[in-house]
Amino acid sequence: MLRGAFSIWGRDMLVLRRGIISELVSVVAYPLTLYLAFGFGLKGYISNVDGIPYPLFIAPGLISMTAVNAAFDESSWSMWFHRRVQRTIEEYRVTPVTVYDIVIGKIFSGFSQGAIKGSVVFLVILLLTPFRIDFSHLPAYLLCLALASMTFSCLGTICGTVIDKPENIGRVQSVVIVPLIFMAGIFFPLTSYPAAVLPVVRLLPTTAVFEGARGALLFGAVPPLYLINLVLTAGICFILAVYTFNRKMAE
Amino acid sequence: MPSAVTLSQITKSYGSFTAVDRFSLEVERGTVFGLLGPNGAGKTTLIKILTTLMRPSSGDATVEGFSVLSAGKEVRRRIGVVPQENNLDRYLTARENLILHGRLHGMKPAEYNPRIDELLEMTGLAGRQHDFPDTFSGGMQRRLVVARALVHEPRVLFLDEPTTGLDPQSRRALWEHIRRLRHTMTVFLTTHYMDEADALCDRIMIMDHGESLADGSAAQLKDAFSRAHTYEVDFRGDASGFREILEELPFVRSVEQEGATFRLTLSGEDALKPLIDSPVGRQIRKICLLEPSLEDVFIALTGEKVRE
Repeated sequence: MLRGAFSIWGRDMLVLRRGIISELVSVVAYPLTLYLAFGFGLKGYISNVDGIPYPLFIAPGLISMTAVNAAFDESSWSMWFHRRVQRTIEEYRVTPVTVYDIVIGKIFSGFSQGAIKGSVVFLVILLLTPFRIDFSHLPAYLLCLALASMTFSCLGTICGTVIDKPENIGRVQSVVIVPLIFMAGIFFPLTSYPAAVLPVVRLLPTTAVFEGARGALLFGAVPPLYLINLVLTAGICFILAVYTFNRKMAE
Repeated sequence: MPSAVTLSQITKSYGSFTAVDRFSLEVERGTVFGLLGPNGAGKTTLIKILTTLMRPSSGDATVEGFSVLSAGKEVRRRIGVVPQENNLDRYLTARENLILHGRLHGMKPAEYNPRIDELLEMTGLAGRQHDFPDTFSGGMQRRLVVARALVHEPRVLFLDEPTTGLDPQSRRALWEHIRRLRHTMTVFLTTHYMDEADALCDRIMIMDHGESLADGSAAQLKDAFSRAHTYEVDFRGDASGFREILEELPFVRSVEQEGATFRLTLSGEDALKPLIDSPVGRQIRKICLLEPSLEDVFIALTGEKVRE
């Protein structure tokens, strides 16, 4: 059971391990820059948000953003590359593993990349900045990070499965993923939205990710509605990813 | 002898286009079977159906007795596949490519490691096993793909145009590897190189437009499709007026001329004596039978028109 999925996941982790230093440098640079630029640059203008110092307010979101971006990137590009360029998916498919093994292996790879890279950014922010947390809050935060990585890994898998032209994956990132991330209150409180828009924004999975992460890391609990949102979204995306891949392979 | 591969009335359609049309075939165990056809004949579609990458629109196929429709996993346990394009993992070394394949087949390190050593030796890649496939020549990459397909000791090996794009030396080296596999497993090969089919295959089927056109050994096909006997004839002295005379002879089907050499297609062996007795017969200096090549058979069956 899932032996094939673990073999494929193992392959992806071996490749990640080989290039881990360069990968992490590039992964850490972006959120760290944002943290320094916004956290410190705007600290003088925005002292507190809902009673939370601004650098502390944005840190959980930035860490989660790294994780979900890494999960989406790895899953979408890896699936596309293995399917369209290297055609290794075809090699996997002539072995006794099932399409479920392949898609689950790839989703776990995206999830692992997200979790690893998010954790590293967390450690770097912890080491290089005055950002401090209560470590008893960590399990709730990691749960939030895992669910978010799973959701975005599944979304990436769907994109890598159905999109044939690489530029279109970039377009999905620009038009769907980036707005979803930036609209979800990483840098500002959701109360800044007009009251009419707020219920819709609260339903976004990315809002659940970033608000949930902030709640988990700063207060030790993911707000229940966001937790339900995270679990449901991850579950639905997983089913959709498996279904989409299965259908594509049957064509 | 029981069949390794059976296709029963296989049809594959894409909308109104039929790639394979009610195709049936049985391949005996332990043989090297060659499927020949021009581009778009349906060869790759058949391989994809047999390797469970594609489902037929109708009909069924079995590999080692297992249906591709209902027992795909069992089929895949027993097959090795060398696809048309190298699909090696360029982020894994040669050895890691083979290890991953072994793992996907559920093999344990104690099983796959000695087998991989043996295959790397056999394909001459042992010295490069820790290098990445990107650094290999086309021939070496192809040998690695063959080695990968053999890690789990398949019962049937599918090779889809295995030597396309290789230089003559690499082609010959790959042929050697395939020859060594003869009798240890069934080899199902597609190619459009006639010399390859002639050199490797115990049995050849020529197909086009999704249908079988001819089936037999290379010798049987050449014999059956030579249709008329073609001879090369050299004449003594000036042969300038001979063409008209030869074309008038009732047993001469066609005449081609290159200087003093004529290529005559006769109606049969019994036309040789009347040719000798004809007005030009005394001037014949040399006559020899032109054996038809497999390529002649192929062109006769599939036509000379270039395919898209």
